[in-house]
Amino acid sequence: MSLEEPEPEDGAVEVLPTAGDEIAELLGDLVVDREEHVNAPGFVIRPDAVQETLTRLRDEAGFDHLSCVTAEEREDRYESIYHLTSFDDRQREVSVVVPAPKDDPVSESAEPVFRTADWHEREAYDLIGVEYDDHPDLRRILLPDTWQGHPLSENYDQDRPQIVTLSEWENPLAEDHREEEGDTMYVNIGPHHPATHGVLHVKTVLDGEQVADVDPDIGYLHRCEEQMCQTKTYRHQIMPYPDRWDYASSGLLNEWAYARAAEDLNDIDVPEYAQIIRTMGAEFCRIASHMLAVGTFALDVYGDFTAIFMYAMRDREKVQKVLEDLTGQRMMFNYFRLGGVVWDLPEPREEFFETIRDFLDDLPEALEEYHDLITSNEILQARTIDTGVLPPEVAKSYGATGPVARGSGIDYDLRRDDPYGYYDELEWDVITEDGCDNFSRLLVRLREVEESAKIIEQCVDLLEDWPEEERTIQSNVPRTLRPEDDTEIYRAVEAAKGELGIYIRADGTEKPGRFKIRSPCFSNLQTLPEMSAGEYIPDMVASLGSLDIVLGEVDR
Amino acid sequence: MIGVLKSMATTMKHALDGQTFTVEYPDVAPEVSPRFRGVHKFSQERCIWCRQCENVCPNDTIQIVQDDQRNGEQYNLHIGQCIYCRLCEEVCPVDAILLTQNFEFTADTKDDFVYNKEQLKNVPWYKDIDPLNSREPDRDAWIGEGEGEVDYQ
Amino acid sequence: MVPLQSQVLLPERIAGLLGLSGTVGQIVGGLLGAFLIANLLLVQTAIAGPWAKRKITAAFTDRIAVNRIGPFGLLTIVTDAVRLLSKELIIPEDVDRPSYDLGPLLVPFSALLGFAVIPMGNGIHLADPETGLVFAFAASSIASLGIVMMGYGSNNKYSLLGGLRAIASNIAYEIPLVVTAASVVVFTGTLQMSEVVAQQAEPLLTVAGVTIPQWFAFVNPFAFVLFVIANLAEVGRNPFDVPEAPTEIVAGFQTEYSSVYFVLIYLGEFIHIFLGGALAATLFLGGPAGPILPGFIWFTIKIWAFYLFTQWARSAIPRLRVDQFLDVGWKGMLVLSFANLALTAIIVGVIA
Repeated sequence: MSLEEPEPEDGAVEVLPTAGDEIAELLGDLVVDREEHVNAPGFVIRPDAVQETLTRLRDEAGFDHLSCVTAEEREDRYESIYHLTSFDDRQREVSVVVPAPKDDPVSESAEPVFRTADWHEREAYDLIGVEYDDHPDLRRILLPDTWQGHPLSENYDQDRPQIVTLSEWENPLAEDHREEEGDTMYVNIGPHHPATHGVLHVKTVLDGEQVADVDPDIGYLHRCEEQMCQTKTYRHQIMPYPDRWDYASSGLLNEWAYARAAEDLNDIDVPEYAQIIRTMGAEFCRIASHMLAVGTFALDVYGDFTAIFMYAMRDREKVQKVLEDLTGQRMMFNYFRLGGVVWDLPEPREEFFETIRDFLDDLPEALEEYHDLITSNEILQARTIDTGVLPPEVAKSYGATGPVARGSGIDYDLRRDDPYGYYDELEWDVITEDGCDNFSRLLVRLREVEESAKIIEQCVDLLEDWPEEERTIQSNVPRTLRPEDDTEIYRAVEAAKGELGIYIRADGTEKPGRFKIRSPCFSNLQTLPEMSAGEYIPDMVASLGSLDIVLGEVDR
Repeated sequence: MIGVLKSMATTMKHALDGQTFTVEYPDVAPEVSPRFRGVHKFSQERCIWCRQCENVCPNDTIQIVQDDQRNGEQYNLHIGQCIYCRLCEEVCPVDAILLTQNFEFTADTKDDFVYNKEQLKNVPWYKDIDPLNSREPDRDAWIGEGEGEVDYQ
Repeated sequence: MVPLQSQVLLPERIAGLLGLSGTVGQIVGGLLGAFLIANLLLVQTAIAGPWAKRKITAAFTDRIAVNRIGPFGLLTIVTDAVRLLSKELIIPEDVDRPSYDLGPLLVPFSALLGFAVIPMGNGIHLADPETGLVFAFAASSIASLGIVMMGYGSNNKYSLLGGLRAIASNIAYEIPLVVTAASVVVFTGTLQMSEVVAQQAEPLLTVAGVTIPQWFAFVNPFAFVLFVIANLAEVGRNPFDVPEAPTEIVAGFQTEYSSVYFVLIYLGEFIHIFLGGALAATLFLGGPAGPILPGFIWFTIKIWAFYLFTQWARSAIPRLRVDQFLDVGWKGMLVLSFANLALTAIIVGVIA
């Protein structure tokens, strides 16, 4: 149990409970049992006390961030785990474990307390089969409505045919509302639409040109990533797959999420030298990813013939070249290994450093160009300022993280708040903007590129002077890893889109018993209806662009 | 208005400087890093049929069939489903597999991408590569597995 | 009154060359003249659409663009034409047939019709009625009707939205466009195109031995800027490409069109850009006038310059939101254009 004392702050601030016992005291007789997860104390509660527990933890203990909801089926019960933490102090974590009986897996919904639980619980219902009482809209989310069975539950029949035609499935008694009210128009934006950044389907109700209601329909790119990871070994086989969650060049950031969780689970140390290489590579990925985000956002606002997209692609290309030299691949890196990285820097090292330094030297000029092209353009300002507004409280309730949260003025960055890698040794700043609108989110990304460049520069300085005999890139890791049965861990890193968390429950074998991915895009996308209600279609499209979702990560 | 004009000036500057960053692909081959992971090259001469590559492969790209004396009978490669993670090369103790720098290969159907060990001897992308070659930088540089508990499965 | 720039119009000249006269001469001459002009424009459109547009966009975005077929990739035009025309013409269910089919025809033909009264230099001028300017505007705005027909007839919600946006934009920007053009008419005192061009040939002032002609772009640059901006909206290019807005409403009114119909719409769009350029050139840039080179070349340069400008704007200017777009039209452009008209009228009244 890694629990630190609360940092001594100004006297006015009340001391929030951090230690497990204090929380137990706060929850009182709500707690049925205690568990210890590697990252946090776990409290088992009754399935009908979810809302009360979470409300108490949120209001009285400051756990205002429902990072993730994991559901799983165990031998004797269903279980929903609410991973709570705090936006102000990320290292305070607590897991609320809600068991539900096998024959009637019903537990109370957390949606009234945390809006983000809406989609997370729908996913749990969809894949595991836990039902949530009091949930406003418990439908399937990733799989089609016609799906039979819950694929991650234990007695799921994989061979059961799943092809159900629409006419078979359609309710013949359903009323047709088309004629009754003539004021609104229903439009399917996507799954094939130029501005949905992939196969996203936004069910939109329009009132004239204005958006009356949006309902993002996801799951078109669901590839069973969680289930796949559950069938692969910790040591080698899982690592190639994180690259494919957020495939838009943030591979190393995703790999780090898995590496961090698995390394903490197995008590693996990473040599300092490898940490620096990891930090550098990850920041390159962040730059590439933000470049793509800026470019596609420009596409959404400018139209197809904008030059900005190509300029962004060009700068991203330079980053990919560096990453290719380092990792051997442009996007699907598979560069991290548990306990380090697979390759040392490419030889000749001087040449490699030279390439990086050239890139870093050119970057300010390139960014200046983006500011000329985008942020200083009055028409773009007219388009993006005060549109897609996401107030900080709403963002927190939806569990929005990354540039989306920081664009709403939430000072939250895992690299600083829950340090990993080499970040806490380096000089850099967390960027926030208070505008809460599309423009702020754009600006955050552009400014974060500068910060990433700062980090890379410091890493290069360190790597250049690193003594040759101490260049250990991997620690000594056994070929087969078998973490103890029933150890559970939830660890997150700051990916390009926000908090990318991994929950692993070990079952004593070399493969995870449950592997859950907390995708930042999934939570961020959930805010779209908040941002676009009452706005015009173009603003809805711009907001979607400013969220910078990658459907591969949303659907997993 | 000044911002708009500045934007227009920026794109015009790019139009006039005449520089391009794209490559005329089939005519000009893009530069590929020495570490690039392309299509497999399997050399039977080196293979000792230890089946480690088959074990480590995350998605069953490699299939090996042995007779009862554990001599290799079949080595089938389903390139169409390979994800180019290079784990097979990493575990191979004798450098029998390496991922070449070739990324150009086509087929009409995914089935055409299934190769057995005879077919693997003369697929087009093996040309010009010494079958006994091993990768530079060689594997000692990147296998970080030290002493300690090693479980060879 | 200054003499007309070219007294002999194209139909008469053709009739003269063929030795025909009277009604037969007029009909044959008119038909052949129209054929010639239409082909001139279609050739330019063919170059502009599949080739020049790609090359221009590529130049702005640091790419190479088409270069595989023919010198500089020019033969791409042929392959693209074949490709587009040989595609399947998909007609969705429940489209409103006559209007679905007529819309794509109307768009290019309305624009071509406008060219009938444009003096292109070297005597290429099909007709020169006294109401020339009004005719050109009237003809070009028939295109809106075609767009509405397409938007309505396609049985697609995106098309409908695009059609609605197109009407809104046409109403909002046609008025400033025509009112700004009217400020030129206040100067010239006539709507006849040849007369408008002829008056611009007058010298404005002489600087260091170089005589600057009285092009209305020099006389009233403010009106020229207004006209060009309104023109951008009229042809639906950034920052005003709201009716099409690919990232918002897929392709607006042309969402459901493929193959030949798509080609027709595409042609129509480009001819419209050229017509916009031609009007700007005729009203503000002295029509086909220019030093050394023959008139027709100058005219072509001017309309291509406008075309280039639309592409340039596309590369760097964001699209306005539809409400902002209408705000700019009704609250900005309309007011400014009327102010311009009133000011011009006062100045002309004081001078004359």
